[in-house]
Amino acid sequence: MPAGAWVVPFAVGECSHPVRRDSRKEAGGIQDPQLWGAMTGQASERIDDTLLVREAQRGNRAAFEELVRHYDQAVLRLAVHLTGSEPEAQDVYQEAFLKAYKSIGNFRFECSFYTWIYRIVTNLCLDHLRKRQVRKEDAPVATDAAGEQYDVLDQVPDGRSGANPERDLMRRELAKRITRALEKLTPRERMVFELKHYHGLKLRTVGEVLNTTEETAKNTLFRATQKLRGALADMR
Amino acid sequence: MKCEWVKENILLYVYNELADDARYELEQHLARCANCTTELKTTRSFHAMLSELPVEEPSPNLVAASRMRLQEGLETATQGRFWHRLIFDPAAWLRQVRFAPALAAAIFMLGFAGGIGTTYKVLSGNGGASIAAPVSAPAESSITGIQSITQDPGSNHISIKYNTVSTQEAQGSLNDQRIQQLLLFAARNNYNSGVRMDSVDLLTQEPNNTHVREALMYALRYDSNPGVRLKALDGLGAYVKSDPRVRDALLEALVQDSNPGARTEALHLLEPVRGDSSVRSVLQKLADSDQNQYIRSQARIMLAQLPEFD
Repeated sequence: MPAGAWVVPFAVGECSHPVRRDSRKEAGGIQDPQLWGAMTGQASERIDDTLLVREAQRGNRAAFEELVRHYDQAVLRLAVHLTGSEPEAQDVYQEAFLKAYKSIGNFRFECSFYTWIYRIVTNLCLDHLRKRQVRKEDAPVATDAAGEQYDVLDQVPDGRSGANPERDLMRRELAKRITRALEKLTPRERMVFELKHYHGLKLRTVGEVLNTTEETAKNTLFRATQKLRGALADMR
Repeated sequence: MKCEWVKENILLYVYNELADDARYELEQHLARCANCTTELKTTRSFHAMLSELPVEEPSPNLVAASRMRLQEGLETATQGRFWHRLIFDPAAWLRQVRFAPALAAAIFMLGFAGGIGTTYKVLSGNGGASIAAPVSAPAESSITGIQSITQDPGSNHISIKYNTVSTQEAQGSLNDQRIQQLLLFAARNNYNSGVRMDSVDLLTQEPNNTHVREALMYALRYDSNPGVRLKALDGLGAYVKSDPRVRDALLEALVQDSNPGARTEALHLLEPVRGDSSVRSVLQKLADSDQNQYIRSQARIMLAQLPEFD
């Protein structure tokens, strides 16, 4: 995926606009070519969303399942990154799409289906984050599908470290620190930062997804960034 | 003042969220402010560092497992606004039930009950024209055959056993339309000549009925049993004068019937109308060349008795 490609992470229409990324460096957040590619692929799929949504509203389950296939990888990506746990991400996935299926009759095309499903997912993720905060978990330990506990950060691949174990170790350590710093954010700050930095959503769309204004999303992003800078000051 | 504005907006600049004019202004400032350029570098390196926590694509296994679980969930999930869809999109509702086994079973039971409903019994009082239980007449197509016909001695009461899917019995007087219908059916369609004989015998008591007369003429022409044909002749005899169709049927029997007894009977029955031209020509022909001597002589006698025409 070339750096200057068009990317439409959100549907066209009133809710959001296509975004042109002039440079991956400037974009700052998303530097994973696979992620960019996946987002571009979704753009073309979204063209026939309206038809699929209308069919799903008439009770056509196959149409709904097609919609699920358009967005479920993005949903899982977000949920896994936010919760750090595949089973938890699966729960969010299941709950989100079942909720969408049951209430798709209420979807009024006031925003894109993408924004709508992301709104459902982020609300569920926020619930998970709040519950986790109550539990005061301080170690990024999670359980996998088989029920075994593992350190989330051990799962970070070493593609960029090559055969350098020292570099790999440092990177893992850094990832742990970042995760801990992120967990100290409020659920809402975490969500805004996650959607903006790691998933490349425009602030306007972040506001729509979180049922707030672009300005509020911007301020929340500032706050989150300041907190992270403070928490990771010694890492620079 | 300017640097403060830049510091406030440098994050948005890094995220490419600045409007074009603000972006241009900021870049102009960066070109001449070393402090702000350092701040930009710091911000970018910080963001590069945060990206050390990568966003991984979900594994194919996770995607597949999640989809399967969702499909199971959707099996039992119901969409909201059910009544709305029911009212405005009944086709969708029908799609949901079109293969329902319960519906198939209900249709089967309904059909079975309908079959049972065709079973009936006619009851009537003794000796009278009244019918004890008014029963709807079965369609002829549902009758597979008549088993037996009996008349109570010295009364007008008739019993007919006939088959539909199973053997049934109808009772009533000869005046009963239902009974007449069964008799007519028996006269035309039954495989048992005894039953045909009985039905024709009974029908001869009601020859005033046009349908009955037609059934008798049918029996006379086509019945394979001479006894039945003779019975039909007996019933038709009284109408040879008033009904030309009866006369023609009798003439036909006289010429073509294979049974001499029937022919002789027909000849006698035609006596009242021997003056008719059609009868006279047949008689002439029979008198001249019939193989049966008795027929030949009887024909000659009848011709001789004809009055002379002026």
